[in-house]
Amino acid sequence: MKILIKIAFCVLLSLNLSAQITTKIIRNGTLHLGNGEVIEGGVLVMEQGKIIELGSTQKGLYKNAVVIDAKGKHVYPGLIAMNNIMGLNEIDAIRATKDYYEQGDFNPNVRSLIAYNTDSKILPTALFNGILYTQAIPQGGIISGSSSLMKTKAWNWEDAVVKGDEGVHINWPHIPIPSLDPNKNGEKLMGDIATFFAEAKQYQNMKTPAFNARLAAMKGVFLGTQNLYIHTNEAQGMMRSIQFFKSNYPEIHLVIVGGQEAYLVADLLKENQIPVVLGSIHRLPARNADGIDLPYQTPAQLEKLGIKFALSLEGSWEARNLAYLAGTAAAYGLNKEAALKAICLSPAEIMGISDRIGSLAVGKDASILICNGDLLDMKSSEIWQAYLCGEAIDLNNEQVKLYQKYMDKYKLN
Amino acid sequence: MTALKKLIQLAFFLLCCAKLEAQVGFPLNGPPDKRPEYVAITNVTIQINPNKSISNASLLLLDGKIENVGVGISIPKEARVINAKGKYLYPSFIDLYSNYGIKAPIASKTRGDQFSNNQAGPYSWNDAVRSQLDAINYFSYDEKKSKQLLGNGFGVSLSAVQDGIFRGTSALVLNGNAHEQNLVLNPKAACGMSFNKGSSTQDYPGSAMGCVALIRQTYFDANWYAQQKGTYNLSLENINKYKDLPVIFEAENKLAALRAARIGKEFGISYIIKGAGDEYQRLDEIAAIGLPFILPINFPKPYEVENPFDAMNINLADLKHWEMAPANPQMVARKKIPFVITSSGCTEPNEFLKNLRKAVEYGLSEEDALTALTTRPAQWLKSEKEIGTIEKGKMANFFISNEPIFNKNAQILSHWILGEESIINVNSIYSIKGDYRIVNSPIENYVLRINDNLKEGLLLGKDTLKVNIQEQLGIFNLSYNDNNKNTQQIRINAWIKNIDSISFQALSLEGLTQMPDGSSKPFMANWQLVRTENKKTAAIEKPFIGKVVYPFTEYGNENIPKARNYLFKNASVWTNEKEGVLSETDVAISEGKIIAIGKNLKLENYQTIDATGKVLSSGIIDEHSHIGIYRGVNECTQNITAEVRIGDVINSEDINIYRQLSGGVIACQQLHGSCNPVGGQSSLIKLRWGMAPEQMKIAGADGFIKFALGENVKQSNWGVESGRYPQTRMGVEQVYYDAFIRAKEYERALKVNPSLTRRDLELDALVEICNKKRFISCHSYVQSEINMLMHVADSMGFKVNTFTHILEGYKVADKMKAHGVSASTFADWWAYKYEVIDAIPQNAAILNKIGVVTAINSDDAEMGRRLNQEAAKIIKYGHISEEEAWKMVTLNPAKMLHLDTRTGSIKVGKDADLVLWSCNPLSIQAKAEMTFVDGVCYFNRTADEAMRIAVQAERQRIIQKMILAKQKGEKAEAKVSMPDPDYHCDDF
Repeated sequence: MKILIKIAFCVLLSLNLSAQITTKIIRNGTLHLGNGEVIEGGVLVMEQGKIIELGSTQKGLYKNAVVIDAKGKHVYPGLIAMNNIMGLNEIDAIRATKDYYEQGDFNPNVRSLIAYNTDSKILPTALFNGILYTQAIPQGGIISGSSSLMKTKAWNWEDAVVKGDEGVHINWPHIPIPSLDPNKNGEKLMGDIATFFAEAKQYQNMKTPAFNARLAAMKGVFLGTQNLYIHTNEAQGMMRSIQFFKSNYPEIHLVIVGGQEAYLVADLLKENQIPVVLGSIHRLPARNADGIDLPYQTPAQLEKLGIKFALSLEGSWEARNLAYLAGTAAAYGLNKEAALKAICLSPAEIMGISDRIGSLAVGKDASILICNGDLLDMKSSEIWQAYLCGEAIDLNNEQVKLYQKYMDKYKLN
Repeated sequence: MTALKKLIQLAFFLLCCAKLEAQVGFPLNGPPDKRPEYVAITNVTIQINPNKSISNASLLLLDGKIENVGVGISIPKEARVINAKGKYLYPSFIDLYSNYGIKAPIASKTRGDQFSNNQAGPYSWNDAVRSQLDAINYFSYDEKKSKQLLGNGFGVSLSAVQDGIFRGTSALVLNGNAHEQNLVLNPKAACGMSFNKGSSTQDYPGSAMGCVALIRQTYFDANWYAQQKGTYNLSLENINKYKDLPVIFEAENKLAALRAARIGKEFGISYIIKGAGDEYQRLDEIAAIGLPFILPINFPKPYEVENPFDAMNINLADLKHWEMAPANPQMVARKKIPFVITSSGCTEPNEFLKNLRKAVEYGLSEEDALTALTTRPAQWLKSEKEIGTIEKGKMANFFISNEPIFNKNAQILSHWILGEESIINVNSIYSIKGDYRIVNSPIENYVLRINDNLKEGLLLGKDTLKVNIQEQLGIFNLSYNDNNKNTQQIRINAWIKNIDSISFQALSLEGLTQMPDGSSKPFMANWQLVRTENKKTAAIEKPFIGKVVYPFTEYGNENIPKARNYLFKNASVWTNEKEGVLSETDVAISEGKIIAIGKNLKLENYQTIDATGKVLSSGIIDEHSHIGIYRGVNECTQNITAEVRIGDVINSEDINIYRQLSGGVIACQQLHGSCNPVGGQSSLIKLRWGMAPEQMKIAGADGFIKFALGENVKQSNWGVESGRYPQTRMGVEQVYYDAFIRAKEYERALKVNPSLTRRDLELDALVEICNKKRFISCHSYVQSEINMLMHVADSMGFKVNTFTHILEGYKVADKMKAHGVSASTFADWWAYKYEVIDAIPQNAAILNKIGVVTAINSDDAEMGRRLNQEAAKIIKYGHISEEEAWKMVTLNPAKMLHLDTRTGSIKVGKDADLVLWSCNPLSIQAKAEMTFVDGVCYFNRTADEAMRIAVQAERQRIIQKMILAKQKGEKAEAKVSMPDPDYHCDDF
């Protein structure tokens, strides 16, 4: 019955869209804007896929508007999952379903977006938990390829792209202690990276170079239009990579991904204004001596030190737990709204798309979640409604269908 | 009459022996060059035995034996006299853990899986059982190693094939240079064992628990073998044949020593444990096992800690061990544990003596050290009549040093084996140390000052000139640069002209001076004065060492906390009983039990804990955990490994135990992995942080065992072709039927003919299952296989206790309910392999609603400390009540582990396994503030904050000390500590 109503509602919506402009007004909910601000019992108006009004009271007058009463509920911007392989990987154990790891060491030319499978069974489960956007990243090698910011619901990848090829990913090598590295493999790797960047830069300066897909693909990075995502968890990796790029290629926009030990090199990150995309904080401390909750505390530490950061959950199916990372960060010293920011506005800012998405603000895409309770807390985080660019989304995924099917079988409904 | 006859026989026998010794025994090329073996060493200080030293003594040797020893003994004219004035003489050291001179054969690996022994012969089915090897068959003199051993004082070695689990017999041999026929004291003096399969290429055993299982089964097989006829097995034959020999068991760490002792106790064998040098970390338990130890003294070198980031990768345990290891012998001695010392592990030429002195510096008495190196090893091998002391009639095995051997600069000059001298350091028979006045030009009246190292000196006169000195066979080459005139070298050849016959001090030197132009002049110098040496040494302070903590890792405690009387006031009490949640209620615990629940409890002598605004709940129980397991969670190598037991390999030192406590976990089932249809036996532990493995086990708990189904057991994700059966779900069923039918046949055979039936530990476990004495926790995913195993169980007359993971349980929830099986599942895992594509986060809710006892488990050390959050997810996905969700991580796992009568809820009389939460434990905001197990507070968040600071302070203190040690010239090495493993089901 519930489902029927939902379907009817969707049909109605689509009919309306083709016929005339529909205005939707969300009223009475607690609006978490994503930039740190909260409006209790506020009003949000969306039209033609955009947020057109936002505040504690409604100012505009809208004819034929659909009113959504969100009393007792919480309204959030759609979440953005960075640093994951949803849509590129379906089943970890089955090679045929993996499309994120190209062979070879230097692959800046491979592009995740064309492999992004909008019909993945995983995406609807992320959507169910409020993830409306995902940064699909390639992995492996030294330079893995370029990532794109995608919608988690779309007809095809072209339709899904929010920002294509927004960054190139480099896996910064672990350099062992010199006496444990008799063959100097660490130095060799560093040499390979230095050479690649030098030659890629040279290539950009040549008038008619013989075509080299790998070198050509670095253009945006040198122009500063694409981020260079440096994947490393080690303080020394951050020190080495930042030092390397700042002294050789100051024009490159650097982002640290992983960043477990970012708090150890905070000054360096702050001084160079380098944002950090933290890997899953639901992890064990890296070392026995670390405090038991050191990973949980890292976001609060970075916030205090004034470093811009996003939270992320590597992997594919796991990414649906993104909001709970923010919840944990909030339990360990981070302001709750700042924690929310780390999974919506900060990712948008890092990827240079905060003019369109990432927070509830007039003029931005109406990508909105209405949650029955606190989105960041497991037990209350059931999402009641979600809108992607103003369009209501059917949250009823395969898992819910299986649930219903067996509830029916056992007559438990 | 008879006695006399025997005496005569004995005398004759001895005579024969003496004669035999004198003969060569084999053909020689040319006239035999037999020298008189009659030597007197005089004026020497002799260490007769560890407690007795005599100075100005003499030692008389004849034909390799000690003829006489003492002060003022008469020296026959025939004896060659060696004046050893000022020198020190010690009995040769004996090393009971050596592979000196042994080269044993090893088998080569076959491609792919190897299920059987590649050594051809009537040997054990398993290549790690090498009891057929007798080290004596592989022994030969090894010149290089012999020199190193003699130079470190060792004259006798118990040489073994140090390879494999059962290692065969070892031979007691002399380290000297002679024909091997003359070097063997006892060809079969002891047996060897370990938990390491060594060079065996066979797959089984692939884990530490597999090694234990193999030892157990082999002992049973040896017993059975002795009863049976028809097969010949040299490996088992030898185990029986040599069972009266001492057995030396190599334990790779302190917990392995405890493990070995347990096995020994089970089979009535008292091992000699070759320890790892970390005994001090569990000294009480080590002392309690009552076994003798062989201690290594290869103390760790300081680590490279100059780069602070790299230094972070060294664990506190490794840092502390560097500081404390030299104190281990002393601590073991003070605990009155009998021990000997081995040079095993000392690889650098002088490492052993250097470290021996270090052990003494750290408090080991010289007597204890000498006992551990001479008399005690001799006694243990019943060779004390021949070796170990300097006494009449014993073998002439001893060494001579220039100073007492424990002095820093002491050098072994010569080492005598069977009365044959090996020169170790030649340059110290006479001394040319000191000042000599030169009587000839061109440097007349200069004083030549020769330094103690005899390698350099000074010419003191108008100028001070540096002199280099080289000695070869009594000729000293002195060279110096005459700066005033030219840069050419002036060279002198000198030799000793006169010597003091008592002190061996050279009184005058003479020789030739070669001038830069090639002309030569005579050289003459007279010893001038005795420089008063400052012999006063500062009172030696025993070096500082930190405290032992339990467990020996970060966040260990100096004193393991104890149960106390606590009164929780005004808590919101989540009882898990029919009372549900009680608000503003007090709970009292005493002697590990809950003794009262109520409002306004008033009790004397109770420590009150204000729990206002907080939640008190029973502790979390993880049905599926792999923390605290040593060296492998899977014995993957066979499709049935019911004989292996996690309980044999509990790692009480795993930091993850502490981390789980911080998440409110009080107990867990340590499960075998999911590699094979029948895995190993589980261990049920409470997280008693700091206790040794045996004390962590839940006493009286039922036995459990891991089964597994699906992709892991059919090895579909291994990536390589595997030869192990089964490769399909069809095969899995057949493995079960076959095994259980065999188990039933075995049980019958045991009843009919107990003595002739071979005990089979694998089938024993299956028989226990059939008899409802052991309970199955089965790793499972898809409905077909879940159904299958329930059918197998029904047809064999038992029930499956728990399906763990059980991600498609919701599809057969009704059948599970009917079978009576529990479900322990993940909250929301899926999509990591094909068999979990239909996993849904509503699974637990459906199972629970149907009435299946349902739990949420972790299978992961990280998630294990957030099980409260995982339970909360079920509320969201499956719309169950908070109370139901909470039971999924407390009472329900207690039920499926048969522990619910003693834990899992808050009820008077139950164990005080409690957690005080900052707020509703199902909220993401919740933190476990205190975790109690049996009334002992093992985790306290406030104390934890202080410990973090203390851990850092201790690290920094030792790191500073290490840098100093390195600056003082100690060699450092790079170190990256092994992290505590984070095992999952499918790690192998």
